[in-house]
Amino acid sequence: MPIPSLAEKLEWLKPAPATPYEKECAAKVPQGDYEIGVQITNDILDEAMEVFVRASRSYFGVSGDSMVAIFTAEGDLINGACGTYLHAIIQPIIIKYVRKYYQENPGIRDGDIWYTNDALYGGIHNPDQVAMMPIFYKGQLLAWATAALHTTETGATEPGGMPVSAKSRFEEGLNLPPIKIGENFEIRADFLEMYCAYGMRAPAMFVSDLRARCTTADRVRVRVLELAEKRGPEFVVGLFRKMSDTAEAGARKKIRDLPDGKFRSVIFNDAIGWTPALVRSCYLTLTKKGDGIVFDFHGTSPENPSSYNVHPQAVVGHIANFMYEYMFHDLPICSSTFAPLDFIFPEGTIVYPDKMAATSCCVYIGMQARNATQNAFAKMAFSNGALWQQVTAPPGSQHTSQICAGLSQWKLAVSDVLSFSLNTMGQGGRAASDGMDAYGFAWCAFGRAPDSEQVESELPITVTLSQHWKDSSGPGLHRGGSGGVQHWMVHKVPDVVSMCMGNGSKVPLGQPLFGGYASSPIPGISIRKADLLKEMAQSDPNLTLDFRSIVEKHSIHGDWSYELVARTPKMYEEGDVIFGFSGGGPGYGDPLERDPQSVLDDLSKQIISDWTVRNIYKIAYDPERKKLDPEKTEQLREEERRARLARGKSYADFEKEWSKQCPPKEILQWYGSWPDAKPLGPVIR
Amino acid sequence: MAPETQNRVRITEYLDLDIEKEQWLCNRCGRMLGPARESYKKGCLFHDRDPREIHQQLVSSNFNFSPDPQWVRIVECYCPGCGTQIETEYLPPGHPITRDIELDLDSLKERLRKGEYVIRGQRLEAAE
Repeated sequence: MPIPSLAEKLEWLKPAPATPYEKECAAKVPQGDYEIGVQITNDILDEAMEVFVRASRSYFGVSGDSMVAIFTAEGDLINGACGTYLHAIIQPIIIKYVRKYYQENPGIRDGDIWYTNDALYGGIHNPDQVAMMPIFYKGQLLAWATAALHTTETGATEPGGMPVSAKSRFEEGLNLPPIKIGENFEIRADFLEMYCAYGMRAPAMFVSDLRARCTTADRVRVRVLELAEKRGPEFVVGLFRKMSDTAEAGARKKIRDLPDGKFRSVIFNDAIGWTPALVRSCYLTLTKKGDGIVFDFHGTSPENPSSYNVHPQAVVGHIANFMYEYMFHDLPICSSTFAPLDFIFPEGTIVYPDKMAATSCCVYIGMQARNATQNAFAKMAFSNGALWQQVTAPPGSQHTSQICAGLSQWKLAVSDVLSFSLNTMGQGGRAASDGMDAYGFAWCAFGRAPDSEQVESELPITVTLSQHWKDSSGPGLHRGGSGGVQHWMVHKVPDVVSMCMGNGSKVPLGQPLFGGYASSPIPGISIRKADLLKEMAQSDPNLTLDFRSIVEKHSIHGDWSYELVARTPKMYEEGDVIFGFSGGGPGYGDPLERDPQSVLDDLSKQIISDWTVRNIYKIAYDPERKKLDPEKTEQLREEERRARLARGKSYADFEKEWSKQCPPKEILQWYGSWPDAKPLGPVIR
Repeated sequence: MAPETQNRVRITEYLDLDIEKEQWLCNRCGRMLGPARESYKKGCLFHDRDPREIHQQLVSSNFNFSPDPQWVRIVECYCPGCGTQIETEYLPPGHPITRDIELDLDSLKERLRKGEYVIRGQRLEAAE
């Protein structure tokens, strides 16, 4: 069977036109019944989501980094429950692939369980796995149900499912194109054994998550059948059609109401695997005309021989995360909301790599497409009376994706991510308020920080501190939300293997908005031979567990190490400490306009430091009583505005000097030509 | 609404558009920033900021909680009238400044003329 082409994938994102039968069914769904029907789909999905979270074993599953969805018989998304919107828009590609190529052999039958995790065929990356079940009512294919979840193991060359060192897809472990894994409502034993062979680093988690997906999809199937039995299959078909049409009309109206024009944003990445490298990871031009928007990624850097590439539909998945969180927040999660959006991906770029490319760390690049989209949309939507309050700087997406693998204190094999530092990122500053502190996971709006007690029980670590990370957020009129920091100390085992995925040590990953500043980069920090465990055992009265103090004074003694956040797998011994960070959100607006009392409140809450209060916000205050001096503050701010006017150069003069500069050649190896990022040669895999 | 603001729409926090005069203006001080068919940035002042002045280095290492100034700079964009920081962009040194907003003015005017839009509170609202 052919790998689906980009043209096929983009075509399959669009909902199929209504058939005469669907139109006829939709016409029979009266108002009132329609609204009740919509709510029933919400209830079905919410129930299934609850089943999913409770049945999953991986920390992504427990945190709710998942999605349950209902599709039409044709494969178009009708509604979903989150979790993450990442999978929402793109799963029709997989279902339509199965419908097109597997209708005859092996056939699509009642009781089938289909499965895939291969980004080449329509997924995000291979840790993201999805179970799909057709829903037959008395022999009629009525709908599909899916359950998608990120499991942090794939049997790749490194533990954790996102091998940073992978240079091609052949090093990424399990990559399953769409395949039938069960018949007659039962997972095939031969498939299960093959599957287990890829998950032997963490068999309990790996297999539990597979079963959780299947169980969840089946719960949706059962409930949709109950609806069909109660109201008739024509009601279900008509309801779905009407939901699709209504959602599309809502999306088109929102877009139509925005001003026409072109809006651009550019974002840079600082790593290719664990090699520091500057890449123009997204150069986005949005062209908005009438009720449609074209996303054009020309100008984005070429693909590279690492796993930091992203297949085009996974870029769309990341954009869905932004669209449903903000612009389409009041619309159903439905394929038809993306019908007005078109995408142009230049072949050979980091957002449209070769079929053999590794993409397991694609989320770091996909997120930057989302961040660029959020920034460009802000400039399109601020003038709109209905949408301006949705304008928000991108989330803080730099973070420590730390994998912990080995034997737990219960002697069980484990390999999982420490997901506190994922699910406590700061929201970007908003048009009407600050970003929310530790709001969630930039990839998963509804993700929850896991329970630390449970983490300590299941993984061989102790969490010695969890707190807001001071100065992590971007300053501004409305500051970004604070990120978080945790310490993980290896405990109750002789050693563990740990590695880290990620980016954002050298450059910020999200542009701020309207004169704000970006959030802080994150180093990779660890302390080997740390004396923390000893000091805790002795109840040392001088022991502090304030993160900032620990870093600035090195008050935990041992061999400190500062590195790029993405780090190779290494052994860590009992007592060693690893730092986990979640990024703060970038700021919104000129920091000199921030209410001075709010700045002092942030100081009291330990969100920002005295250094930031004085140097960025230009606040005069009595440090003892934390009392504002309003006159002196206004004077300092006025002086800073005058200083800006004195040092600022005209655009022409600035550009003349500025354009003579260039980053060091050694960091531009995978950037492409400078500065326009055109490919310089082929990538050999 | 004062007559001089009837044709003004807020495009960003600090950037207004005078639709009739086709001019960019500072929202805070009203300073004209140039023709709206060009980039508003051409009428602003710019400064190349070392990111370490904004993001404090906490440790002496190449990885220190501050962006690396060899990798990225903060391009600050000020209103030449009042010194408000209108925009910031984190760019590698020498990277072209982004033309972030390119409105289709003819379309906007036509839609206002046809009554598809009304301006309320300096924002565009779809006519009922």
